Amino acid sequence: MAAPRVHVAEFGRVWADARGLHGATLAEELVRIVTPWGFDDVRAGAASTWVAAQLAATQSRVPGVAITVPPGEDRRYIAPFPIAALEPPPDLALLLAGLGIEKCGALADLDAESIEVRLGLEGVRLWERARAEERRWLFRAPVRDLPSASLEWVEYGLKDPERLLFVINSLAGTLCRALSSRGERAREVSIIFSLGNRSQRTHLLRSSRPSAEQKRWVRLAREALDSITLPDAVSGVSLRVESVTGNDGAQGDLFDRGFASAPAVEDALTQLTDDQGDVVVRPRNSEHPLIEARTTWQADERMPRTIVAGSRGGISAGPVGPSVAALPRDDNEKAADVSIPQLRLQLLPTPRVVTVATEERRDHQIPIRYMDQNEWHELVDVAGPDRVRGGEWNAPYARDYFRCVRDDGTMVWLFRGESQGTDWFLQGWWD
Amino acid sequence: MSKSASIAALRELIEQRFPDATPTTQRLSEHLATGMEALDRALPHGGFPRGQLSVWAPQGGCTAILRAACHATVARGERAAWIDGDSTVAGAFWTEGPLLVRPTSRLHALRATEELLRSGGFALLVLAGTHPEGTESVRLTRAAREGGTALVSITTSASVASLRLTSRLLDYRWRHTPFGEPALAHQVTARVQARAVGWSAHADLSFPVTHHELRLSLDTALVDRRGSPRRPH
Repeated sequence: MAAPRVHVAEFGRVWADARGLHGATLAEELVRIVTPWGFDDVRAGAASTWVAAQLAATQSRVPGVAITVPPGEDRRYIAPFPIAALEPPPDLALLLAGLGIEKCGALADLDAESIEVRLGLEGVRLWERARAEERRWLFRAPVRDLPSASLEWVEYGLKDPERLLFVINSLAGTLCRALSSRGERAREVSIIFSLGNRSQRTHLLRSSRPSAEQKRWVRLAREALDSITLPDAVSGVSLRVESVTGNDGAQGDLFDRGFASAPAVEDALTQLTDDQGDVVVRPRNSEHPLIEARTTWQADERMPRTIVAGSRGGISAGPVGPSVAALPRDDNEKAADVSIPQLRLQLLPTPRVVTVATEERRDHQIPIRYMDQNEWHELVDVAGPDRVRGGEWNAPYARDYFRCVRDDGTMVWLFRGESQGTDWFLQGWWD
Repeated sequence: MSKSASIAALRELIEQRFPDATPTTQRLSEHLATGMEALDRALPHGGFPRGQLSVWAPQGGCTAILRAACHATVARGERAAWIDGDSTVAGAFWTEGPLLVRPTSRLHALRATEELLRSGGFALLVLAGTHPEGTESVRLTRAAREGGTALVSITTSASVASLRLTSRLLDYRWRHTPFGEPALAHQVTARVQARAVGWSAHADLSFPVTHHELRLSLDTALVDRRGSPRRPH
């Protein structure tokens, strides 16, 4: 027998959380339980959305019977009911009546933009209810308890960081064992110091990569203790896990040549990220007209095993790094292509001003040589201009790009920025 | 003992006592194939020496070739990393595979290189945009030896390198406009020269030139505002 979470609401309504349970059976059971307590007019409804369940219960004409709306049928079930059944605010109800919208189905058929423009936020919310799309949860997922460990002493106060670290080491061991048994890794851990003056100081430790390793958290605690100043002696320490992640992609591949060294690489990457921040990155690209504005760099949180792309029938493990064989056909072709060199654009972090000598070609000027860092470079082939115009209203840009081959064979990318005067810039080169 | 036999015995003794001092060409250390046959033929033992430093002079297509070598390494089931010391990697042209590290300073780039080398988990590591000098090169070479990684530094400083490479882009193949002017380079040929003690060879490689999608305006008077927010009133 499962006990659902129950919420007693206004207007004599009782809500029960049927997620994970059989809704119809639960509704019937609730009716059966409540009726003997002197409630003769009990009605119940069960549905995937709260709005359909409420209508099933409140609009039912037969007491003592539970109505069940089949999954996926909520909107259709709601459609024939009058708008009033959705309990709209009075002014909105008047407005809808004036527009001739009487049924929930008629309201649900309208498009979002016209509802928003004519009826505002309240109208949109009512419209979502009419479509059984309002994402309101009466019952939130219960918050799980995360591991914590604490130790207190009353006879003396600690001021020596090494002795504090000794205590923290022990508590971290308890914490990490609890995390390992749950198959989780902590991302954030709080250290709470109880002080002799009856106050508490909390310090948050954040690991760049989730970890359930005692050594790692102790190391972070040691670094934190170097910078913390406590106003009084410590009479207790608590360690509390604040956020966790699961052990995603922990399954490894014994035939993977990188498998054996994965922990060492993981340690190296963790150390690197702790020392330098998120320097192990992967690009996220947009379609921005300016290439230097297309990319934002995100931390690459792949596990080391998944950095290796397996070549033996896609055995490679892990959720993120796509193995060659696991890719769709087009991506497979791309994966094959990347093993062939391709001359690609390299970008300067910011375009560099250069001095350019030009000559006329048909109706425009083209560069014939340029000086960069006190050195002149002759250009033997010049393609362009490629004209890029755009930007927001207050910050427009206009650039004429030229792909030029220098006499030493290097292809460079120059542009003339009209919005920045008529200066020439070196944006990058192909290599 | 004859003179030649003495020299041979002395050479053998030196090789035993100082294995790192012997030329790459005589060593039996493992090598990492680049995946490009023509280039591998030009390299001693058919690839970059593992556990040693190779240097490649900047430009001339070295980035393209080394990135392809990184991908070939990853495709074989080993790890490769690229240290982008001067932040010149364009995100639009980065293909997932090798690990990309973008340190914020020269010192950080060197530290990151050493850290990854010592982990022993990488078959190939390319250090680009940072030029290790003197003792820095020695230290990185030691880390590469400890980790067994083929370290390739894109730099002109080749003091302790066992293999030195230079490359030059020889000629481009262009598509032309109706007016006969160059419009788009689509193919290029590069000559790679490899040198080590007792070794000198070159390879010619031909590969495509990749361009990105430009959003163009056809006329200087036309501004492309697709995607821009409306003008504030």
